[in-house]
Amino acid sequence: MKIFVSGLYAGGNPQPGVGIVRSLRQGYPDATIVGVEYSNGVSGIHFDELDDLWIQRPWGELDLESYGQRVREVLDAGGLWISGSDLEAMWLASVFPDGHANLLAPPMAGIKRITKPVVEAASGLPVRIPTYLSTEHSDWDLHAFCRAQDWRVWLKGPYYDASRTPTWDAFTAVRNALSKVWSTEKLFLQAHVSGYEESVMLSAYQGELLGAVSMRKRDVTAEGKTWAGDVSDVPPEFLEPLRRMVRDTNWTGGGELEMVRDASDQLWLIEMNPRFPAWVHGATIAGHNLPALLVQAATGVRAQPVPAQSAEFTRVVLEVPVRADYPLPPLPEPFAGAVGHSMKHPSGLTALAARLHKIDPDMLDVALAPEGSPAPNAVSALPETYVADIGAQDFGAMQTPQYIYMESTAEALFASAAERARRLSTDDVEVISGYSIKTNPDKRLIKLALDNGFYAEAISLGEVQTALEVGFRPDQVILNGPGKWWPEGLMPRETMHAVFCDSVADLDRVVAAVEAGEMSARHIGIRIRTPNITSRFGIPLDSPTTFAKLIEAVKRLPTDSKFGVHFHMASSHVGVAQWWHLFESMLRWCRSIERLSGRTIEMLDMGGGWYPDDWHADETSKIAHAAELVRAMLPAVRQIASEPGKAMAQPSMALAMRVLEIQEHEDDMIEAVVDASIAEIPMHFWQPHRMVRQCGETGALQPIGRGKTYLMGRLCMEHDIIASNVQLPEGTRAGDLLIFCDAGGYDRSMSYVFGRG
Amino acid sequence: MYLVEDKAKRADVRTSEQLAGEGFMLATPIASPGGKWEHFPNSHISHHGKACCDIAHEWLIAYDFAQLNGGDILSGPRWMREHSAWGPSAWPIHWCEAVDAKIVDCGVHAAIAQEAFVARGLRAFRAQFIQRYSADAAASWRESWGKGDVSDHWIDGDAIYHEGNAVVVGDDHVKLWDGSAGWWINPRGEAGYGSLAAVRIDARVDSFATGLLWGNRRIPLNLWVEI
Ligand SMILES: [Zn+2]
Ligand SMILES: [Zn+2]
Repeated sequence: MKIFVSGLYAGGNPQPGVGIVRSLRQGYPDATIVGVEYSNGVSGIHFDELDDLWIQRPWGELDLESYGQRVREVLDAGGLWISGSDLEAMWLASVFPDGHANLLAPPMAGIKRITKPVVEAASGLPVRIPTYLSTEHSDWDLHAFCRAQDWRVWLKGPYYDASRTPTWDAFTAVRNALSKVWSTEKLFLQAHVSGYEESVMLSAYQGELLGAVSMRKRDVTAEGKTWAGDVSDVPPEFLEPLRRMVRDTNWTGGGELEMVRDASDQLWLIEMNPRFPAWVHGATIAGHNLPALLVQAATGVRAQPVPAQSAEFTRVVLEVPVRADYPLPPLPEPFAGAVGHSMKHPSGLTALAARLHKIDPDMLDVALAPEGSPAPNAVSALPETYVADIGAQDFGAMQTPQYIYMESTAEALFASAAERARRLSTDDVEVISGYSIKTNPDKRLIKLALDNGFYAEAISLGEVQTALEVGFRPDQVILNGPGKWWPEGLMPRETMHAVFCDSVADLDRVVAAVEAGEMSARHIGIRIRTPNITSRFGIPLDSPTTFAKLIEAVKRLPTDSKFGVHFHMASSHVGVAQWWHLFESMLRWCRSIERLSGRTIEMLDMGGGWYPDDWHADETSKIAHAAELVRAMLPAVRQIASEPGKAMAQPSMALAMRVLEIQEHEDDMIEAVVDASIAEIPMHFWQPHRMVRQCGETGALQPIGRGKTYLMGRLCMEHDIIASNVQLPEGTRAGDLLIFCDAGGYDRSMSYVFGRG
Repeated sequence: MYLVEDKAKRADVRTSEQLAGEGFMLATPIASPGGKWEHFPNSHISHHGKACCDIAHEWLIAYDFAQLNGGDILSGPRWMREHSAWGPSAWPIHWCEAVDAKIVDCGVHAAIAQEAFVARGLRAFRAQFIQRYSADAAASWRESWGKGDVSDHWIDGDAIYHEGNAVVVGDDHVKLWDGSAGWWINPRGEAGYGSLAAVRIDARVDSFATGLLWGNRRIPLNLWVEI
């Protein structure tokens, strides 16, 4: 009996080959086991249980056609083949679409039904699939998905490789890297599920399930790979659907379902692999020799039974002698000046991925949308008011770069916020909005805020002055922040609406100023810094000692002002769900503060840093629920202020720019220089912007999709690349006008003067 | 790890000195699942009856909720182990001291976790464990508890007495939380170093007359059960 085993890479993220060999050796002491590899740089080839080696050239240079022929000869001659590599299994499936009696790997039909993330084949199993989104959608939608998942997301390639992408800039960087490595744009984002990792390994021959075991990871490497685990039987409620799945897919070979068990015991399927897992010998140690069962089914030769040694296994690191006929290859020369020289995939698996795409572009396609559903669109739709506002501009006379005030958009946003506040207010509790001036101090926006019944939220006396100039009365001003006394001498003597203290020192200063008659406010309160969230603002709550200080401070607040609490956390930063958890957490802190200080809270100011779509799409349901929660937990509250600064400002301006020059490089890569720069759009790393081109001839607006063009700013700064991966419409040339929408928030207020002459 | 200075509240419980003395007089552990800890009460944190302990208690509940961070309410409060390491603590202890201490024993961890679980709206009970370790481990612990001038009556041969929580999940399933370790005890646990030898779930309630299900085992309440 001759058994070929591949996937012998035995590094920190090992393949299963060595474990398969060890298990086979126990079941079939006399078998000839041949190790198959595509590099002599793979350490597992030196494992001494291998009787023979069949080393090929790396996948990138291998002649696949003749190699496929030689594999066929090996199988026809009675050799058995167990693949220990996903991509090799896929390639074998392309060579043997209907399988081969001696090929112990799944047929093409089976492989196609386990492509991530849907794993259609697993639909009968008691598992759920974490929510996901194809990266073929527009950047605008991808950003929304990340926010909705609190930025607890993985960006995944179609075969393997997954990276946490906790920010937009991390996401775009990983997207570029993964697309390049795996030669595909078809990646997907998937929500992270927090829980304990476990796997089910199976062994099957021609649609018959031969055995399956369950393994819980009990120790993991830094990459999350198994280091130790416990093995047990698969429970019947999982085993029966698994048996049906194996039958439906006519599965042959090993397989692994990787799952996470969450706190409420729900299993989430992360992915399914068309091969045995690297911990395969751990199961053999526990008395389940699945590779031997596979060989037994294929040959009818009984495997030697091996008794279970332990239900738990762990790994150790071993040095082994290198085989004389396959000495270690020399290390590649380090790139001059660069650090490190290791090559991640010695056998060239990434090259195999590129070649498989050419053999059959559909074979490795990730099934990302149910059949019949509309194809994802990489171009984000432009809201109607955007189109109207841009259309109203006289671009002919416009000096660029130029911020465009999106008048009808801004008016609609403020009006709807005002209407929402009215709708949510009751006789007992008034809901108001505050316009935070720092988000964009443009007087047109401040005036709109005034006209729509907003209060003005200021973080400096300079901002207070601006608000008063536009027409706000002092009692419509809310003063906040750590620098509220700057610039000196401008503190209004009239009664303001509310003042929130950012620290105990600030609070003492406010108390003294009120006593001295130097300032006055209807509400005086504190900003709290909730634990577990990194923030430099507010009075901390992170220990009983700091909490006791805060309670003492609250007791010192003047009793002729009403007491308020301010809470602020950027929802666009922490994510929507986490924001709501924080909100509820904050209410609990408030309740404790009331109980311990004896002061009741009459005003609650909830700052948001809301992403416009989240704030506006949320509609009333959640805000109404929040108001209800407030009423239930803090019955003395009479006013809730919400601060949708960014949600108002960001859509209210766009940035117009002109193309200065277009350079075409090889492979469709284009670099276009524009007259804007990151000085005008400093948030471009952190959020996507919807972009359009105005056609020079027709004046029509054309959306800018995703492609291989880089838009370089005019500055002499290496990182002045204001957009990458865009596709300029056909015919774009120097002098054409590009418009970046969604630039009216911090893009506008944090723009700077570098490079303006 | 245990106790009970608050006689006013729990007049039926004996003092630590009595209990410790009783333990030390035994030449060999009692041949029952609870061993020398057969009648040991769960540790009980005292209240000064003043604002200091009120603040500490309010802080604890609000802080635990904040630490959930949007996660499932059944997540173990692992932050407690980060907040205070496991080690010798002197009894009696009050809420303001317990919540502020940098090093506390499992009795404090379990008492605090209990407040947190209940405040989250979960059904949770105090649980007592007897665990197997080794003579070397016991010697090392005796040494450090001795240096801390704290009684080591929780060690007996290579067995130790330890406290945690039993959290009800679903109808009558329970998970056992070891707050000092920051993990759920594995119901599939084998015998051997660190394993659970016996458990007692302290549930003065009328429900769960048939006990609670931990893994495949049904654990009758208020009794030491050998594992
Ligand atoms: Zn106290
Ligand atoms: Zn203990």
